[in-house]
Amino acid sequence: MALAKSVYNLLFRRTSTFAITIMVGAVFFERMFDQGGDAIFEQMNRGKLWKHIKHNYENKDEE
Amino acid sequence: MMSLAARSGAFSPYMQATAFTVAGPLKALIPGIVVKGEKFLVDPKKPFLCRETLSGQSPKTGPAVTVSINARAGVRFAHTDIKVPDFSDYRRPEVQDPHKSSQESSEARRAFSYLVTGATTVVGVYAAKTVVTQFVSSMSASADVLALSKIEIKLSDIPEGKNMTFKWRGKPLFVRHRTEKEIATEAGVNLSELRDPQHDKDRVVNPSWVIVLGVCTHLGCVPIANAGDFGGYYCPCHGSHYDASGRIRKGPAPLNLEVPYYEFPDDETVIVG
Repeated sequence: MALAKSVYNLLFRRTSTFAITIMVGAVFFERMFDQGGDAIFEQMNRGKLWKHIKHNYENKDEE
Repeated sequence: MMSLAARSGAFSPYMQATAFTVAGPLKALIPGIVVKGEKFLVDPKKPFLCRETLSGQSPKTGPAVTVSINARAGVRFAHTDIKVPDFSDYRRPEVQDPHKSSQESSEARRAFSYLVTGATTVVGVYAAKTVVTQFVSSMSASADVLALSKIEIKLSDIPEGKNMTFKWRGKPLFVRHRTEKEIATEAGVNLSELRDPQHDKDRVVNPSWVIVLGVCTHLGCVPIANAGDFGGYYCPCHGSHYDASGRIRKGPAPLNLEVPYYEFPDDETVIVG
């Protein structure tokens, strides 16, 4: 529980540092959540999206 | 008031609400009997701290109410006959055991509580930010409106020294292909003799091309190109003269012709908007 104690003393003990922790955490959580959601969406629609099939059409244009 | 009613003598029958007490028809079901209560010893030296310390002191079965004339009334502790609810389902596992010190686990429990609070707030902040962003971005122009607000002009259609007018966002747009002589003349104009001082290089991206809104800054007429004293634009309504950079030189207009935002994706085209 040394980790929990140090985290509490460093981040949660003061309201100011608690609020800063929440703000910074929200920034990272947003990145993680959005990119994770996009990754799941692309995983489920693999082969159907334009960026997955784009190379098929680009080759024809060049010829 | 009562004493006044009592002393009012002859008027007292009229000033009383009820003159006589009348026996009611109802009788008490159980007549009140004064029962001598059993002796109940309370040890005053033993401190009352919690439910356990009370257990030796108080009666456990039913409300113990005793009435006697001289002795003190029986002691009834409400919490002795009320069953204390069991909150152990709601307690954290560290504090289930009442004989163990809770201070050993207080750091971990506190850190966990704050962690849960913080994580909830982080998710809440993210949700609130997303909702606000959605609503605010729904107010901005959509992609089709933005596409309509741009105009793409093919520059090779405009010969040197000629001005062409396009309609852009409901307003006339002047695109002027300047000659080398015009460029040199406008670049050499002394700023002190201008009403709205602005250097020519601040008004153009490529010196060959002057792109300005064809709306006179005086009262909004459309100026005539290649006319006026300065070889640029001339407003026929009230006689404002603009030079080949669209700057006001003579007449009532207060400001230079407005320069919209534009960019050159390649040498042949310009996109305004």
